[in-house]
Amino acid sequence: MPAVQQTIDQVRRIDVDQYKYGFETTIEVIKAPKGLNEDIVAFISRKKSEPAWMLEWRLEAYRRWKMMSEPTWANVHHPKIDFQDLHYYAAPKSTEGPKSLAEVDPELLRTYEKLGIPLKEREILAGVQNGSRVAVDAVFDSVSVVTTFKEELAKAGVVFCSISEAVRSHPELVKKYLGSVVPQSDNFYAALNSAVFSDGSFVYVPQGVRCPMELSTYFRINERQTGQFERTLIIADKGAYVSYLEGCTAPTRDENQLHAAVVELIALEEAEIKYSTVQNWYPGDKEGRGGVYNFVTKRGDCRGRNSKISWTQVETGSAITWKYPSCILRGDNSRGEFYSIAVSNGYQQVDSGTKMIHLGKNTSSRIISKGIAAGHSQNTYRGLVSAHRKATNARNFTNCDSLLIGDKCGAHTVPYIEAKNASAHFEHEATTSKISDDKLFYCQQRGLSEEEAVALIVNGFVRDVLQQLPMEFMAETQKLIGVSLEGSVG
Amino acid sequence: MTLASTRTKAEQALSRSFEAVAAELPGGRAIAEARKAAIGTFAALGLPHRRLEQWKWTDLRSALKEALPPAVNERHELSASIIDAALEELAAIDAHRMVFVDGRHAPQFTTQADLGGLEVTPLAEALRPDGSASDALTDQSITGNEAVVALNTAFMTDGALIRLAKGVRLDKPLLLLFARSAREGRLVTLRNRIVLAEGAEATVIEAHLALPGAAAGQTNTLTDVRLGPGARLAHVKCTLAGERASHLATWLATLGQTSVYRAFQLTAGSGLVRNNIFALFKGEGAKLDISGAFLGREVEHIDTTLVVDHAVPGCESRELFKGVLADRAHGVFQGKVIVRPNAQKSDGKQMAQALMLSPDAEFDSKPELEIHADDVVCGHGATAAEIDEDLLFYMRARGIPVAQARALLIESFIGEAIDKVEDERLRVALAQMAKRRLTGLTAAQP
Repeated sequence: MPAVQQTIDQVRRIDVDQYKYGFETTIEVIKAPKGLNEDIVAFISRKKSEPAWMLEWRLEAYRRWKMMSEPTWANVHHPKIDFQDLHYYAAPKSTEGPKSLAEVDPELLRTYEKLGIPLKEREILAGVQNGSRVAVDAVFDSVSVVTTFKEELAKAGVVFCSISEAVRSHPELVKKYLGSVVPQSDNFYAALNSAVFSDGSFVYVPQGVRCPMELSTYFRINERQTGQFERTLIIADKGAYVSYLEGCTAPTRDENQLHAAVVELIALEEAEIKYSTVQNWYPGDKEGRGGVYNFVTKRGDCRGRNSKISWTQVETGSAITWKYPSCILRGDNSRGEFYSIAVSNGYQQVDSGTKMIHLGKNTSSRIISKGIAAGHSQNTYRGLVSAHRKATNARNFTNCDSLLIGDKCGAHTVPYIEAKNASAHFEHEATTSKISDDKLFYCQQRGLSEEEAVALIVNGFVRDVLQQLPMEFMAETQKLIGVSLEGSVG
Repeated sequence: MTLASTRTKAEQALSRSFEAVAAELPGGRAIAEARKAAIGTFAALGLPHRRLEQWKWTDLRSALKEALPPAVNERHELSASIIDAALEELAAIDAHRMVFVDGRHAPQFTTQADLGGLEVTPLAEALRPDGSASDALTDQSITGNEAVVALNTAFMTDGALIRLAKGVRLDKPLLLLFARSAREGRLVTLRNRIVLAEGAEATVIEAHLALPGAAAGQTNTLTDVRLGPGARLAHVKCTLAGERASHLATWLATLGQTSVYRAFQLTAGSGLVRNNIFALFKGEGAKLDISGAFLGREVEHIDTTLVVDHAVPGCESRELFKGVLADRAHGVFQGKVIVRPNAQKSDGKQMAQALMLSPDAEFDSKPELEIHADDVVCGHGATAAEIDEDLLFYMRARGIPVAQARALLIESFIGEAIDKVEDERLRVALAQMAKRRLTGLTAAQP
């Protein structure tokens, strides 16, 4: 069954030419010269005033990267990237490194204001202004410009700062956990990131602490021909809880911009991390010119017993997305979740999904993925669920649906399911999300037209994913709520 | 990758044995040329290995440690009763028979139908310089550069070429028996072709068996199926290749307009099996139903890899594969459904399920969809689990002993796939054959 009109309209509203965040901020910057070599790595490390061990770590990653080649297995096509034709570091001259809000360049504050992320702290704390109490780490090109609510968080013992600051202020934590989930040589882009990462967020929630507010990072690529390589490291100690939000945008440009991030999550015993992303990078124009190449490695490690990591993502941006937020379920009884809505328009290419690697006993995971492809886009779900020999009683439920709007796009599903253990129960389902006749009949009986009934039921259905998002993201995703999945295919 | 340029012992041996037997392989000059080109392709590709996406879970390069010498002109002393015994329940099915032993047609056991419109020719005959040669080589476009297909082209010795004329309905099933008898390990390479002209109807059974006393061998078999408009074919493959034997099979099927292809594969008691199936819809309104049951024990490895290509609108495909894995058996299912742009109103459903009887069994699956048209209905599923304790409890609560309850549950699990066979006698025979092996399978389990 083809897509219903309402869906088509909803998707049209977020089509590539409707991109709202395409403006550019004019600001003086300091850039590293183009190209990548050991000197550039050392330059970045110097800029960040890093200790010697950090530089050594980066150089090792760089040496590994040089020996690797780009992965070609994903269902994405792009001209070969010239990694020597990029700037690996760009920072606003006025704000080299995070400062207090009062010291931040007003031009930057205005930029974030325009993006709908007001960087305010005092007014909200004083109750002068209503606003959500969300701590923000704002990353502009290669540097974190400001982190709000730091003191407030410190009172609870939570460390929330840029990663460059953490390298200096909490070296023992960084040393212990950095690269422990995504090793330097994990893959081509992770190795590149390990060598040149410039900033990103660091979160440490101590034992037994429930983080008092939502944490968030807002990534903005501004400069031309500049890659953004941020690194996020989140550690939830025993019994801790944290919810983290990530947003990203970039200006409209006719060149492609490279974004290769690494996110590492570590949940110790009884800890829980909830990581939500609204990915809204510039997707390129109607003809497929420009847009961000998003090659991201995100992985969470449920290291302790009864720990839980959940990924939620709403993706509308990027020319190319190559991203598989994963969970390593190492601790016994640990749980991994992945909820995703990926909408592709124009000439976007999405190859995304998740990996659930069951290692501990009684681990469980759940994957809900909805892909919507329109225009000339290609939308691929690629996932792996595996249970190792000792992972007795592993449970997985996977449901991935996709919907095509128009006959020039493609929707693909590539799930890998590996059960090396008889007590594993794996169910993969990619059914046509046909609405049951009973439900439809029930609604129509009560006076709704068929179209209305379909919309109602489908909204309830998509809410499965959306209700996993923190309130703050609801507004951004509101426009997707109405998207109907009627007529979708596995 | 530099890895590919170093060849394993088996790969080198295959190239060498080709040189050794090339002169004895059937066919005129054109065929000899094609064989040479194929072995060249193989030499360039090598045996498929786990770094190739389609062979991720079946690494032939490491599994095939040695290459056995090709069977060229093996001698055998056989009787009809030995063959009947090996056929088990299939022997009782009233069918036209064509028998091949160690890769060669054995006319003494063949009972051919004298039916107007049916042509049955052994491949070796057709390959002779005066035969209808070049036409016996398969259209490579459907498989691309497959190393296994290249080996088949290089080494093929015999097989059945079947042609059914327009509107002809075969009165009883045609049983193609491929038996192994050689006391020493041999490589047997077979190629079959089944062509049904417009409106023709037939049932073909392909049985691959090891006769008592036969050494573990290697088989590479390819069956090319072409269905004309409105043709109907029921195609059953029964693979009981023998312990430690390897069996590489390729089916290439093209379906004409409104044709119906119903296929079923039973695989058991075989060391290493790869069933590769490529089905292409060429005409609108065609229907495809491919199912299978596989039973693995000890260290057996059974891989089913299928690609269903909805190249034209309005076709329907159904796949159901069910497997029972005991001991350290490894089951693999890779199914890909492609819906090409403009192939609107395609309807595809796919399901693969494995029942794991032992903690050391492994099942890997990849049910894949590649969809380029918006008005289609496609779905797939995959499950892997052990026997449901609740069901077991239910049956035990009603007085059924645990061993029997388990056996019943397993039988009904596999039965769902076997039920897809429409011909009743055939269905019963296959169910019996499966049941006998299931008993052996479950008896050994804790």
